[in-house]
Formats: sequence, C-alpha cells, structure tokens
Amino acid sequence: MNDKRELIRFSNAGKCFSTPGRGDVWAVRDFNLLAHEGQLTCVLGASGCGKTTLLRLAAGLEKPTTGEVVVDSSRVNGAADIGLVTQEGNLLPWRKVLDNIALGPEIQGAKRHKRIAAAREALSRVGLPQKVAKSFPHELSGGMRQRVALGRTLCAGSRIWLMDEPFANLDEPTRHRLQGELLDVWFEDHQTVLFVTHSLEEAVFLADRIVVMAAGRMVAEFQVDLPRPRNRLGDDFVNVLLKVRRVFTETDR
Amino acid sequence: MITPRTAIRKMLLGAMIPMGVILLWYFTAPGSVVVPSVWSVVQILIHPFREPLCLDSTSLADGAAVSVLRMLCGFLLAVITGIPVGLLIGRSRTGREILAPVTAVAMAISPIAWIPITIIVFGLSSPATAVYGQNAWQHGVLDQLRFAIIAVIWMGAFFPIVLNTASGAQHVRQSHIEAATVLGAGKFAVLTKIVLPSASPAIFTGLRLAGGIAWRVIIAAEIFPGTRGGLGYMIAVAHETASYEYAFASIIVIGLIGLCFDAVLRLASLRSTRWMVQER
Repeated sequence: MNDKRELIRFSNAGKCFSTPGRGDVWAVRDFNLLAHEGQLTCVLGASGCGKTTLLRLAAGLEKPTTGEVVVDSSRVNGAADIGLVTQEGNLLPWRKVLDNIALGPEIQGAKRHKRIAAAREALSRVGLPQKVAKSFPHELSGGMRQRVALGRTLCAGSRIWLMDEPFANLDEPTRHRLQGELLDVWFEDHQTVLFVTHSLEEAVFLADRIVVMAAGRMVAEFQVDLPRPRNRLGDDFVNVLLKVRRVFTETDR
Repeated sequence: MITPRTAIRKMLLGAMIPMGVILLWYFTAPGSVVVPSVWSVVQILIHPFREPLCLDSTSLADGAAVSVLRMLCGFLLAVITGIPVGLLIGRSRTGREILAPVTAVAMAISPIAWIPITIIVFGLSSPATAVYGQNAWQHGVLDQLRFAIIAVIWMGAFFPIVLNTASGAQHVRQSHIEAATVLGAGKFAVLTKIVLPSASPAIFTGLRLAGGIAWRVIIAAEIFPGTRGGLGYMIAVAHETASYEYAFASIIVIGLIGLCFDAVLRLASLRSTRWMVQER
C-alpha cells in the first residue's frame, strides 16, 4: 500500500475523436490509473495505442469524453502544476535557450533577474554549458534541445512531469545519457513522472511501475523493484525485460 | 556571409540601370521641351531648403517633411488598428467569419478610390481645425495633417497589415501554444508570448507592404485638389506651371524616401526575426 499522495488519477477515462472518414474513434477507453507523488510511471505501448492522448488528457489539453482525469486533487484545466516534454522538445524557435528555459517563471510573473538566475541553474542541472544560453534552438543538436526542454520543465518548478517519448528521436548513446540525467534530476526532486514510451528497455530502465497499453486500454501493470542505478545487462534487468516483452508481444497481436 | 567583394559587386550591379537612365536623361534633355536638364534638377536637390520662386509651394525639404509626416501618421494608425484586427481574424473563428469577407472586399478597392469620399466626410478638417478652429492656418504642421489624407493612407496600409497578421496568427503551431498553456499561460500570455512573436515574420511582411502602399497613396492623395504642401502637391503645381525640374526632383526624393523607409522596416524585420533568417 502506497501512503504517498495521489497526484494523477484516471477514473474510467475515455477519449473519443470523431473523424470524417472513420466515424468515432476511441483513443483511450475505460482507463484507470493512479500515480502517487514522486512515482515514475512508464506507459508502454505500440504506436497509435493512445499513449499520447492519455498524456494530453493528464495535461488538460484534451477533455475526457467519459470518466474523469484528476491531477493534484483538481480536475485538470490546463493550468496545473504540470510540465510537458514532447518528442520534438517543443521549444519556441524565436527564443534563445535561456529564455526558453525561463518561460515558466516568466508566465508565473517572476522578475527578470530571478527567472534568468533560475534558468541558468536549470541549464547546469541538465548538463548544458552556459555558453549555449544565447543560442537559438535550431543551433543545437537533438540531444541538447531535449535537455533544454527538460530544463524548461525543471525551471518551471513543475511537480508533475508528463513526458511523451522525449528521447525517441535520439541516437542510442545520447538516449542512454539523457535517461541517466533524467534520473539524476528525479532522484533530487522526486517529481511525479508519467513517461510515455514504446521502448521496453527504456521503460524497465526508468520506471517504478510500467503500465502496458493496447488499443486505448490498460492491459497489464508491472512494479519494477530493481535497485538503481540499473544495469541494462544484469540478469534481473533482463528477466524483467523478458517478462514485460512477453505481455507486450501478446497484447500486440 | 557577405564579403566586401560581393558587396561591391552587388552595389555596382544595382547601380547599373539607374546610371543608364541618368545617362539617357543627360543626352536627351537638351533636345526636349518637357525634360529638364540634369543639372537643373541637381541644383534643386543640393539646395533642398531653397523656396521655389516660380511655384506656389514650399521648399523641397518642407514638402518631403510634410509628406513623410502625413505618411507616418496614417501608417502608425494602420499599425495600431491593423495588428489587433489581424490577431482577431487569425485567432477567433467568430472574428474571422465577421471580418474576413469585409476585409477581402475592401482589399480589392484601390485606396485612391476613397479620396473623394474621405474629402466629403472629413472636408478640410485637421487636428489644427479641431483644436484652433478658424485660426488653424496659423499652425502649419498640424494643419497639414488633413484627416481626409490620413484616412486614405490608413485605408491603404490597414488591409495588408490585417491580412498578413491574420495569416501569421492563424498558422501558429498548436504545440507552441500548448507548451505555454501547460505552464499556466492564460489567453493574454499566449497572445503576447506565443502568437505575436510567432506571427512576427508575417506581420513584418505586412508592414513592409503597407509602408510601400502608404507612400504611393500619399503622393496620389496630395495631387488631389484641396491639398497644400507635400511632394505630391509639388508635382501637381510643377505640372501646372511647367516647372518640370521640380517634378523630377520630387520624383527622385519620393523614390529615395521610399527606399529608406523600406530599408528601415527591412532592418527592423531582420532584427526581430533573426531566428527565421538563421533557420533559412
């Protein structure tokens, strides 16, 4: 029994999109999930299974068609204590790196010197040198852009991080390095993370808990009790990976 | 990166046609009654503050100052009104449905066509007549800013600004808006921090178009009866008195001011859309 506060709750949540060609399409259906404070939950599923819609429901960017989605005890309306990191990083191309990172405090009305100081600290914490502060996003590599996106979420002080395949576009070494850096940040601040991925290895490496999704529904749930830092080549890691893969493959048929 | 060599090449190539025209003018002027000599026009250009004796007009510099002032008033008014209307059309469906048809129709009408109507509506009124009544003529600069002319310039500049702003605001990436919304941005913050900067390249395109139109319109408006002062007025008077050297000098100044105005807008555009320039 987890005695920590519930921060994200999906109760029979469903989301249906009306499309001209295919009629009503249920992206998420009868979905129930509880994510407790400080927990890192990975939502694992094949492309098109509704993972992104699930995250958008949590972010308040979509309204559920059925059931409800509650984040931090308040029904989400888009202005919650949330940070969203997407596959493309979603940085604002007209802002330099430091101003991108400082967006959250700026929206919250922080004075310029305070938000810049906070942004510089976030920049260091995500492993970026101060010299990139004045670069535009397009001048950075994919990995650096994702670090900036992490920095922006960190700088905003969000306690709930919604991450939509943030490392999917990166090469393997960069992906591994960023996974490690994400865990470093998470160890320090213990944000509640809902991390969407289609990579089994990534899910097992990062998660406290893995939720497997197929056709908009939750089909399985695993607790990952492996100690951190996790060794991707260790027997325990591989055993969990195989167990998750078995379920994942069966549901994908 | 532009090297000095490419800059010189660019300048020389750009100067080729104007130099050709000046040479043609130099050789054809002596045999023509209408075309003044190059030297007579240069004399006016190098003494812009000298009042023409043969014309019922102020100096070339005064005329240029009046035209620029009128244009700036109309243009700034168009910027202040055009950007909000463009944002409304771009970001609100209802706003778009109400305003887009009107804008499309109005856009098709030449601003010059509005001149008789604005003269009927505003008459000879100006800020000076509004404040000082019959003594308006004593307040030269304010009296030159006739509402009828300002309104015509506004007509010319308003619609390109509206259409370009609307297009820019309509094509803002939803994911950028969501990035701010999730961090707690309200509608106003989304507008100022996402929509406006994202639409700025389109807005600047609109401003440059509007600047060009406004400058062309002011000259046309000043030629109309009832106007006093300005480069357009100077051309009209020069035509009536067959003082063609003043018409030529005015035309050259019109071209140069138009060029400078566009260069200023282009520079402002490049500065504020550096992120786009570097992405190209």
